[in-house]
Amino acid sequence: MSRELRIDGLAHAYALRSVLDDISLRLTAGRTLALVGPSGCGKTTLLHLCAGLLTVQKGSLASDFLRPAVMFQQPRLLPWKTTRDNIALGLKATGMRPAEREARAETMGRAVGLDKLALDLFPHALSGGMQSRAALARALALSPDLLLMDEPFSALDIGLKGQLHRLLLDHQTEHGLAVLMITHDLMEAVRLADTILVMAADPGRLVHRVELTTPARQRGESDIYRTTAELLQEPAVCASFGLDLPRTGIATGCHHRRSGCAVLPLRACSSADGAGTCAATPAPRKKGFSC
Amino acid sequence: MTLLRAWLAGIPAYLWSGWGAIASLFLFFAAWEAAATVYGVLILPPPGTVFSTLAGLIDSGTAWPELAVTARRALTGLALAIAAGSVLGMLAGVSMTASMMSRPLVTVLLGTPPIAWLVLAMLWFGASDGTPVFTVFIACFPVIFVGALQGTRTLDGHLREMASVFRLPARMKLTDLYLPHVVSYLFPAWITALGTSWKVVVMAELLSSADGVGAALAVSRSHLDTASTLAWICAVVGTLLAVEYLLLEPIKRELESWRQQDAGGLT
Repeated sequence: MSRELRIDGLAHAYALRSVLDDISLRLTAGRTLALVGPSGCGKTTLLHLCAGLLTVQKGSLASDFLRPAVMFQQPRLLPWKTTRDNIALGLKATGMRPAEREARAETMGRAVGLDKLALDLFPHALSGGMQSRAALARALALSPDLLLMDEPFSALDIGLKGQLHRLLLDHQTEHGLAVLMITHDLMEAVRLADTILVMAADPGRLVHRVELTTPARQRGESDIYRTTAELLQEPAVCASFGLDLPRTGIATGCHHRRSGCAVLPLRACSSADGAGTCAATPAPRKKGFSC
Repeated sequence: MTLLRAWLAGIPAYLWSGWGAIASLFLFFAAWEAAATVYGVLILPPPGTVFSTLAGLIDSGTAWPELAVTARRALTGLALAIAAGSVLGMLAGVSMTASMMSRPLVTVLLGTPPIAWLVLAMLWFGASDGTPVFTVFIACFPVIFVGALQGTRTLDGHLREMASVFRLPARMKLTDLYLPHVVSYLFPAWITALGTSWKVVVMAELLSSADGVGAALAVSRSHLDTASTLAWICAVVGTLLAVEYLLLEPIKRELESWRQQDAGGLT
């Protein structure tokens, strides 16, 4: 049986302020799940819960994954260690020998486009993009089976973003890792994810779900643009981001998709697959959704 | 080993950078000389006389043993204060409650003048080595404790989260996360404490001991020998400066090299 992250009825509150309410999702090995939502909708809280940085207050969270890794919004590199040692940090924690972990860090660093010179520098001498790449390398060096990412590429220019997207997809194909990523960039979500969950704020909850069946590596640019545009026409998505509902919707038929489970042109939710993936979602509540 | 090599290699350039300091020292000697000519030899002997007295003390073999005794007492007290202060300060820094509770206690310790501790120490330890050692310890401890506490508390919470996500074992958290950060707070505290220890030990010896630089000062005072008093003062200050600038400062530079690489980055 493949490994799985299961979240059921998860709720979280900071003091009296409820930030997450009734979150349920499944993430299996080899799949990418993108959580999209406006700032402050509890995405990061959800990720911190998954990473074990917060204790679960209500609901359940179970993970079979053995080697989870996290890539934070900020690079969070140790300023007193060289980039190479930073990349090797997780490996050092596993007790790997210095020579071996340094070689591994170097390979990983090279894979994300950091040359020998950059690896010998301290993080503050690197540009923001290089720091992000080092943080990605640090996470991937562990060869994780679950990768949690919190708006990992938001500080990068589009060229670099593209490079790292490809790197991530290659790594995923090769190692079959599951990715839970948080982003507020819809297009990034459409580019990388197999499932997109849209969140709304106050309290943070899931309001919309999109399944994309075309494998991420086979999606064409025009498909991605079109799908993103169509996603933006969805009433639930517009409401979540506080956008005005478009007056002239593209003919996506979003009217008959009030159920909330969109079938978008990337041919999502083929009935068999749709049943398989969506059946695991618990019975919908009124404000929730179902397919 | 690399630390030692870097230290040795850094000394020439470091000394060369000291010309400005030397120039200002010579200005000070000139002012001293001028004041000496105004007030006369009995009140303020000129630097030349003082240094020849010092040279005489060194030649006759009286200087080194006294300095060694004083150094032993100061360093014992300082070592105890460094060990206790660093460890306890870091432990207190890890816990919010402990740091809140220790703050007022440390303020009390810092606020109590060393001379008050000295009187207590004389009552408790008599004329033994315990008196100067204890006084040095109690004068240095709060300085180091606060340094360690501040250092631990100011560690970026983001990095702590990162460390727990990457499952750093406790020992690695200490050596790779806390210590490198805390050292930049601890080291200045250690240097301050070193200065304090050296000053306090002389004071303690002056009042409580029969040997050491402080006792020698007491003797020269009773002989109204201003020249040898100043000679002893020069010996004490000179040793402190030598230790601080030749040993500690280069080590500090090496430890903080990651901080000083701002120029020449790729950004």
